[in-house]
Amino acid sequence: MSPQPQAAVGAPLSRVDGRLKVTGQARYAAEHDVDGTVHAVIVDAAIGRGRITSIDTREALAHPGVLRVIHHENAPKLPYRENTASNNPPGRRLRVFQDDEVLFHGQPVAVVIATTLEAAQHGAGLVKVGYDAEQPSTDLHRAEPDKPTTYARGDAEAALRTADVRLDLEYRLARNHHNAMEPHATVARWDGNKLTVWDKTQWVVGTQTELSAVFGLPLDSVRVISPFVGGAFGSGLRCWPHTVVAALAAREAKRPVKLVLSRRQQYFGTGYRPSYEYRLRLGSDRRGRLRAMAHEMDAETSSYETFTETVMPAGQMLYSTPNVSQAYRTVPLDVNTPLWMRGPGFATASFVIESALDELAAKLGIDPIELRRRNEPSEDESSGLPFSTRRLRECCTVGAREFGWHRRSARPRSRREGNWLIGMGMAVGVYETQRNQAQARVRLDADGTALVQAAASDMGPGTYTSQTQVAADALGLTMRTVTFRLGDSLFPPTPPHGGSQTMASVGSAVLDGCNRVRRQAITLAVEDRESPLYGVDAADIVVRGGRLHTKDSPARGETYRRLLARNNRTHLEALGSYAGAAGPRRHSFYAYNATFAEVAVDADLGLVRVRRMLGVYDAGRIISPKLAESQAIGGIVGGIGTALLEHTVTDHRDGRIVNANLADYLVPVNADVPEVKAIYLDGEDREADPLGVKGLGEVVHVGVAPAIANAVFNATGRRIRQLPITAEALL
Amino acid sequence: MSTELPESAPPRSEPKETAAAPSRRAFVVTSTAVAGAVAAGGVITGTSLAGPDEATAAEAAPASRVSLTVNGTRRTVTVDNRTSLLDLLREHFGLTGSKKGCNAGACGACTVLVDGRRINSCLTLAVRLNGAEVTTVEGLTDGDRLHPLQQAFIDQDAFQCGYCTPGQIVSGVGCIQEGHTRSPEEIREWMSGNICRCGCYVNIVRAVEQTAARK
Repeated sequence: MSPQPQAAVGAPLSRVDGRLKVTGQARYAAEHDVDGTVHAVIVDAAIGRGRITSIDTREALAHPGVLRVIHHENAPKLPYRENTASNNPPGRRLRVFQDDEVLFHGQPVAVVIATTLEAAQHGAGLVKVGYDAEQPSTDLHRAEPDKPTTYARGDAEAALRTADVRLDLEYRLARNHHNAMEPHATVARWDGNKLTVWDKTQWVVGTQTELSAVFGLPLDSVRVISPFVGGAFGSGLRCWPHTVVAALAAREAKRPVKLVLSRRQQYFGTGYRPSYEYRLRLGSDRRGRLRAMAHEMDAETSSYETFTETVMPAGQMLYSTPNVSQAYRTVPLDVNTPLWMRGPGFATASFVIESALDELAAKLGIDPIELRRRNEPSEDESSGLPFSTRRLRECCTVGAREFGWHRRSARPRSRREGNWLIGMGMAVGVYETQRNQAQARVRLDADGTALVQAAASDMGPGTYTSQTQVAADALGLTMRTVTFRLGDSLFPPTPPHGGSQTMASVGSAVLDGCNRVRRQAITLAVEDRESPLYGVDAADIVVRGGRLHTKDSPARGETYRRLLARNNRTHLEALGSYAGAAGPRRHSFYAYNATFAEVAVDADLGLVRVRRMLGVYDAGRIISPKLAESQAIGGIVGGIGTALLEHTVTDHRDGRIVNANLADYLVPVNADVPEVKAIYLDGEDREADPLGVKGLGEVVHVGVAPAIANAVFNATGRRIRQLPITAEALL
Repeated sequence: MSTELPESAPPRSEPKETAAAPSRRAFVVTSTAVAGAVAAGGVITGTSLAGPDEATAAEAAPASRVSLTVNGTRRTVTVDNRTSLLDLLREHFGLTGSKKGCNAGACGACTVLVDGRRINSCLTLAVRLNGAEVTTVEGLTDGDRLHPLQQAFIDQDAFQCGYCTPGQIVSGVGCIQEGHTRSPEEIREWMSGNICRCGCYVNIVRAVEQTAARK
């Protein structure tokens, strides 16, 4: 942090954009009013694999209001240059309307442009597409995997053979879709060769580079604007085909185009958390000390891109284990490409590892928290590096106390209330602390207000608010006199708004920029003979409420306004920057949690109801406690969905997703969520980044599903090794 | 498409043209309720270099005239019979506070009050609303003053991304008016038609409770 007094950071403030959001004035992607906009609706492939043999657009074009239909037979060839500055996974990205090939059910095969939304929607239904269909391969269980990515230390196989206790467990995790409430949407406008898009994205810079690569435009000819994102949870971390379609449609129609994916189209037009088959073999001694873990993970990816995520680190560093082997295989299927979803990789691995640990605890008759204590590592055993901060034991202790863990019966199925079987479970979660290069522009105006700009996003965690808090303290201004703007590729670049890195990365750049501007002002004052601070050591000056003064005698000083006015300065300005995790790694950086769940399971119907949940977090410094609490509660609610409800179902006969809507893909509703509580351990991580933060958005979600699964076991004695845990599985 | 009569803003873009008789598509029965109205459909001019995938001319889509009051302002419009109330609000009136989350009545983001009752505006055809009083989130504020539930949402941090928020708030206003606020359990049940994917339910219940208690 800075030598400045901390007034805003750490204070439980309300959101600075709250008023805009509760009055409906916050503008999301499809809500930007661009003159002359027409509407575009995508026609999706109705087969799971094959070729387009014909496209008949006559009826669509005859429909009142329809202007154009674009498809592979009439679309211009697009450059589709390589884009290394993107989140595109290795492979050959989907090229819209460039050939007759259908790679997955729902792939865009045409787009209908019309003067009204109604006409575009209706017109899309009138396009007749003929296909030469092949049998798609969409079943993870039956398809051929790629070569594995492996990791090994010690000899896991030998250690498993000689271990006192062995478990050999197979888990299946369903595909989950992000299903943010705002559908993905793009408004595209061309002004000559310059393209402006208003897009739902978690990375305006990434969408800018991708559109520049696809259309072969100089980077500065593409501007991406995204001031509000209606949730994303990872789905906005790359530029999807529909954004290209919108830009292409606008260019062909010579009109601005608005394209909003339907809820159904989100399921194959954007990514998802891939389904997994995960086998874990585990060996321990009789006291529960782990001797070996062998992980075999198969995860779905598309036939055209190889998507991978960080599913391996947790198995290497979470517990002290001398012998570890891992084989992670992607399985190419005729599906669209997955993408990171909240707590990517770690959430998947933690369900398996934490379920297995609970099973081991039950088998050995050891309390699950005690078992984890016995396997606490003294360093990161994958790298030999010390942990920057790791307070997992404290998370467990505080959680156990606050949750009333002592009331849990070690014997499953021993607590009953009427027809409900009651159980308690816990699990721990971990997520790596990411941070990357970022910049922010800071401008202090002569009227004593400041404007801070960065290309960042705010999909809900509260970037607007928390960055304003950092800036206000570093500049010595009140919250009300600082404006933070984001979501425009014209602003200084930032990394993707994902992986819980925004606070560390953007926040550190904002802090740097504000520190620079404050120091400029201080230098100006101490060198100005007319300033009351003339000649004072700059290090002795702080700024509070827009007034510079000496630390020791607050009476001696003056305001930014007076200082700038007297010096004829309209403003002071600086570009703040943060280099990210530069240089050699000297520590292992992770955020941790212990999550507790109490569930009730209907003994006859297998219905699971979560009764209460608690998460305790070691996440470094908390910049914005009120918003951090909401994040944690939300992460837990998302975890309830993963644990009990969420499951994208594909019909393997034709590759169609059969529950591509919010009535059949279930997510938690208000009645599913009773008491949820979050506790953040006080502290900071001085090694991680200048703000001492470790990231929140992911870690609060990791560990939730296994805590619930373990509670279900405690309630029923039934161990369900699949997600979601459905009533059918329990009957 | 819609065209509004003089008492409110002019149509946004489409050039006017005489509408042809409704054709091609047998539309839902409800449109006949207002079939006597003049259909002033705006339509389409093709580009001069029309190719096989460009429209050159077309008849107007079936349209009807409807008068309704939105947030206290009476509006008369000629609207494509297929237009939902939600699309009328968002695409034609510029009232984008009501959100489209699923367009199928499953998420509640589009919740508005019609004649005091909360409904999913995505499932309601605009042409059915002749004479109706519609209140959206934009109509809840009293000048600069927030509705108490809007303020409670800020106080309780009952939202994150903000996309479901207008629907939650309008739904909460309905829930409070209905008196379904006697316990947190009851609020949870009666607010379960509004999905919040950010997972702010605990705080939403608190905000509704706080506001109901003031009444």
